[in-house]
Formats: sequence, structure tokens, C-alpha cells
Amino acid sequence: MNTILTIFRKEIKTTLRDRRTLISAILLPVLAMPLLLLGITKFSKRMAEKEAAKELKIVLRHAPPALAQQFAAAPGFTLIPEMPLPAARDSVAQEVYDAALDFNPAFAQTVDSMGAGQVAFYYKSTNTSVEGRVEKVLDAYKAEVLNKRFERLHISPALLEPIALQSIDVASQQEQIGMLAGGFLPYIFILFCFMACMYPALDLITGEKEKGTLETLLTTPASRFQILIGKVLAIGVVGVFAAVMTIVGMFAAMRLFEGIPPEILHAINDILSLRFVLLLFGMLVPLSLFFAGALAAVAIRASSFKEAQTLISPMMFVVIVPAMMALMPGMRLTWQTAAIPILNIALATKEITAGTIHYGQYALLVISLIVAALLAIAVSVRQFSKEGNILK
Amino acid sequence: MIEVSHVCRQYALSKKQKAELQTTAGSLNAVNDVSFTCRPGRIFSLLGPNGAGKTTTLRMIATLLLPTTGTIRVNGLDVVQDAAAVRRKIGFLTGSTNLYERLTPAETVKYFADLYGLPSAVFKERKEKLFTQLGINDFLNKRIGQLSTGMKQRVSIARTMIHDPEVVIFDEPTSGLDVITAGGIIDLIRDCKAAGKTVIFSSHIMSEVDLLCDELAIINKGRLVYSDTMEHFRKTSGNESLTATFIRLVQGSLTPSAPKERGDS
Repeated sequence: MNTILTIFRKEIKTTLRDRRTLISAILLPVLAMPLLLLGITKFSKRMAEKEAAKELKIVLRHAPPALAQQFAAAPGFTLIPEMPLPAARDSVAQEVYDAALDFNPAFAQTVDSMGAGQVAFYYKSTNTSVEGRVEKVLDAYKAEVLNKRFERLHISPALLEPIALQSIDVASQQEQIGMLAGGFLPYIFILFCFMACMYPALDLITGEKEKGTLETLLTTPASRFQILIGKVLAIGVVGVFAAVMTIVGMFAAMRLFEGIPPEILHAINDILSLRFVLLLFGMLVPLSLFFAGALAAVAIRASSFKEAQTLISPMMFVVIVPAMMALMPGMRLTWQTAAIPILNIALATKEITAGTIHYGQYALLVISLIVAALLAIAVSVRQFSKEGNILK
Repeated sequence: MIEVSHVCRQYALSKKQKAELQTTAGSLNAVNDVSFTCRPGRIFSLLGPNGAGKTTTLRMIATLLLPTTGTIRVNGLDVVQDAAAVRRKIGFLTGSTNLYERLTPAETVKYFADLYGLPSAVFKERKEKLFTQLGINDFLNKRIGQLSTGMKQRVSIARTMIHDPEVVIFDEPTSGLDVITAGGIIDLIRDCKAAGKTVIFSSHIMSEVDLLCDELAIINKGRLVYSDTMEHFRKTSGNESLTATFIRLVQGSLTPSAPKERGDS
């Protein structure tokens, strides 16, 4: 045990002195969620504002004067004098103008006689927001026409609304956050946990083999089993650390995020309980050891850093696919999914955040992860005891 | 004391290796029926061209590789049965070994002392003695990555000797070193002899062997082609240079009738 501890301490020390590991295990995970949340939401908000403020140039052909007036009055529209249809259509295609509305010459008459007036709307679907903004003006006109018709026929508008629907969401704030962040968060922290394990695995196993220091280490009384376990534990700790950093980063980002209603902030504080932390650790520790064991088993086989990278890269897909499956609609933690490593963590995180975790399923999940971790470590121990794998 | 008796080490050959070696045999004997004894207070040298089986032999003594057949005993302990006990008694230094770049000399030596389970009082005393002797105190807390080759070599020596091994194994210890740095290794080997330790070192350089060794074994293609005292080898050599005799012995061993090892002068 002392020997394993000696090896573990030394590996942690050398790993912490390595800039590349520090970046992949601390810096990237901490920054990932704040950058994604703050950066992307701010960016998309700004883009949407910019789009909304954009002046739309619109060609109206044979438009009823009432409607033309509404367009002229709506903010952000510039009316272009009438022109032949092909020219109008081309200028929309070439983005000289943003849209063209070609009203049937009999439009006003049809509408007045309670029919459906025809209008062709030329626009480019690639220019987002044009469609919505034009339809908004048309809808306003439509509502006006409808009201007039109801008046004429002496019908109450309520006649067309037989149902007065009042929706009340009884999901707690915590459950709502669980649904939103719970799906996305595990995907990110599983990925960072794996990536953070990757570099130390290469460095502590293939690196030591490549540099020739392993040969000397093997001539000491430390057994091959002790050496490998010391290394796998060190790799696993780095992985847990990276995953925790990702989660810390996310909650920090949520607190920094401007405009979050106080009740949601309150809910976030509720989520961050000791129970949440313990449940998360219960999954992260075996997950990270599973990654460490699997990566070690592969890294031992490689004789150079380059070879190890080639062998390890495809493993990333094995990690991403189950994590992504958890994002699919309808995927929930059940007795079946709780037994599938990686997928089960992604699904359980949702439930833990929402406070709806089933403890029996959670226990099954932890057991399945421990079994996976033990298997991976057993394989790596086997690989490490082969002479051909450890000596150059 | 190292007793190597009738040791063979066989490697299975892959298809690619068979093609490279132009052979159809399924396996290759890297070491073939090798026997010799290294005594305490004597320097034993294993001489041979590249690929002769020197490293494989030394790795088997150091318990890194298992012999296919035959037995090796280090101070009476079997390298297969009592591998862990053997490793406590040996110090192992190779020319190709690097050190952990991100540790300091002090940390490196402490790491190995911990692996050997040295009590802290003993460690302190050994460390102070070795660090003063080797002049490591000047760069004690610098990262090894920032040290020169000569400094690194001194740290390697301290690392090898920290547990005061009874048997010291050197695998081409001076390869890639300049004369001055190699001098440090030569001194170390002499000190080990003076301290009554069992010393075995491999080399492909006759002059180095001539400088140091008491007993000489020449190995080629896994077989022992000569094993006797250095004194006897010098006599065998006569007017010829030692290197010329070495080459003659190695080339002679390529013919089917290998020369007798003892008393054929």
C-alpha cells in the first residue's frame, strides 16, 4: 500500500508540473461552460437584436391601401415603389430588397366579400427574421379584417375560442433546471473527464516507456501491479478533478449570468446541496477510474506517444456516443439504462439536478460503473505484466 | 554474487521479424546456454557487439525478463522465485535511462529511496554522503529537465546507489556520454569494487573493459564465446591488440566450431 502511495504521489506531482495537463484538466473545464453559456447566449441575443433592428426593404404590388399603410407605419420597413413582378422577384433573389408581396388585383374585393384574398410572398428562407416580421404585419391586418367581419355578422369573437386554456407548470424550478442543464452538463463533464485522463495516461505510461525510465522503475522492489495501480489512481484523480471543475464552472457561469430571475438563482443554490455533491462524486470516481483503466490498457501497448495518440483517438467516440444518446428525447433513467456505463451517468445527472433520482437505480448505476472500472483496470494490469509491452 | 547457469531466452518471432531476419524459424534464442559467475569485489564485464544478447542477459539478472530455461541466482536468491527480494539487492544503471524531467534531483532520489523502503534516518545519511561525493548539492532543487547531461548522470548514479545495493548492474553505462562524464561512471564502478560489491557491466568498447575489469565474458549471437579472467585474456592476446583479439573471437564464433573457452592459448 505504501509503495502504491509513493508512486501515486510522485505521479500527481509530475502531472501537476505539466502545463499541458493543467490546461486540459483545469483551465479548459473551468472555462468551457461559462464560455458556452455566456458567450453563445450573449452572441445570439446580440445577433437577434441586430436582425430585429434591420431596415427591411419590401416591394408591395397591388397592395390594398390599408395594408400598405400598416407596412409604412410598422417600424423597420421601407416601402419600394411598385415594379414588374420578375424584376421584384430578381431583386429579392439578389438581396437588393428583402421581400416582395404580390397581391392579387382582386384582393381587396375578395376580402370585402368575405373570401380569402390571394397574396404571393417572395423571400429568402436563408435570411432569418424576414418571414416572421412580414407575417406579423399581415397577421395584424388579418385580425383587423376578422374583427370587422365579426361585427358585420354580429358574432362574438369568443365564439371561435371555445377553450380558454390556462397552463400552470407545476415542475419546480429545480426540475426545470435539471431538464435544461441536466442534459447538457453531463455531456460536457464526461467529455472533459475523459480528455483530462488522456494526457496523463499518455505521459505516465507511454511517456515513461518511451523515455526509458520505466525500465529503472521495474528494477525496484515495487511490483508491476503496484506501479500500475499507482499510475491508474493518479490518472483517475486528474479525471475527477476535471469533471468537478466543469461543474464548478457551470454553476459559476449561472451566477455570473445577468438577468437570471432571483427564484432561479435560489433554485441553483438548492441544487448545490451536500446530497448533490455526494451523489455526483459517487458516479464520477468510478467513471474516472474506468477511463483511467481503459486508457492505461491502450497506452501500455503503444511504444511511442504518436502511436498512443493514434490508438486512443477512436476511443473518444465510444465515450461521446452514449453521452449524446442521453440528449435524445424520451431517454430516461430506467433499470435498463442505469446499467449502461456513461449513458447512465448522463441520464442520472438530469434526475439528480431535478431532485428526482431513484436511489435503487442510482445504486445499480454505481455498481455497473465499479464493475466497468474493475474490468478496465484488470485488463490494464494484464497488459502491464506482459514483457513485450513494457520493455522497448 | 551472481550465478548464471545454462540460461536461454527465447523470443517468438512475428511474421514481420521473420522477414527481416530472413528465417523461417518460429523463435529466436537471444541468449543461448550462457553460464558465468560474478564474485563480490570483482568487476565482471560482458563484452559483445550490438545485438549479441548483453542487454537481455542483464535484464534477466535484474528480473525484468524471465529466462526461458536455466537458473540465475543473485546472492543465493532465485530471480524467478524471489524476484522482489533480488530487486532489493540490486542497483541498475543503463546508459539509455533518462530521469523524470519534472522532478528535482532531491525528489528523484527520495522517490527511489521510498520505493526501496529506506528508513528516513538511513536515507538522510546515504543522501548526504552521495550528494556531497557527487557534487549534487549545487543543483539539488533544480528541475532535472534544466540540467546538463553530466549533472543528470550524477543524479542517475545517486539514484542507483541510494539503497547501497550489494550487486550493481551497468548496461552500457557510458554510451552516449563524453569522456569527462563517462569518467564519473568509471570511478563509480571502481568504488563499487573497493566496497566489495558484485559488479557486472556490459560494453562493446574494449578499451573501457581493459581499464576496469577483472573477469571477462565475450558474447556473440546469444552464445558465450569466451569467459575467463582479464589477465588470461591479455595473455591470449599476446602481441595482438586486445580489440583485434576480441574481433577474432567474435568472428571465429560465426563458424560452426566455436573455440573452446578455457585453456586454448
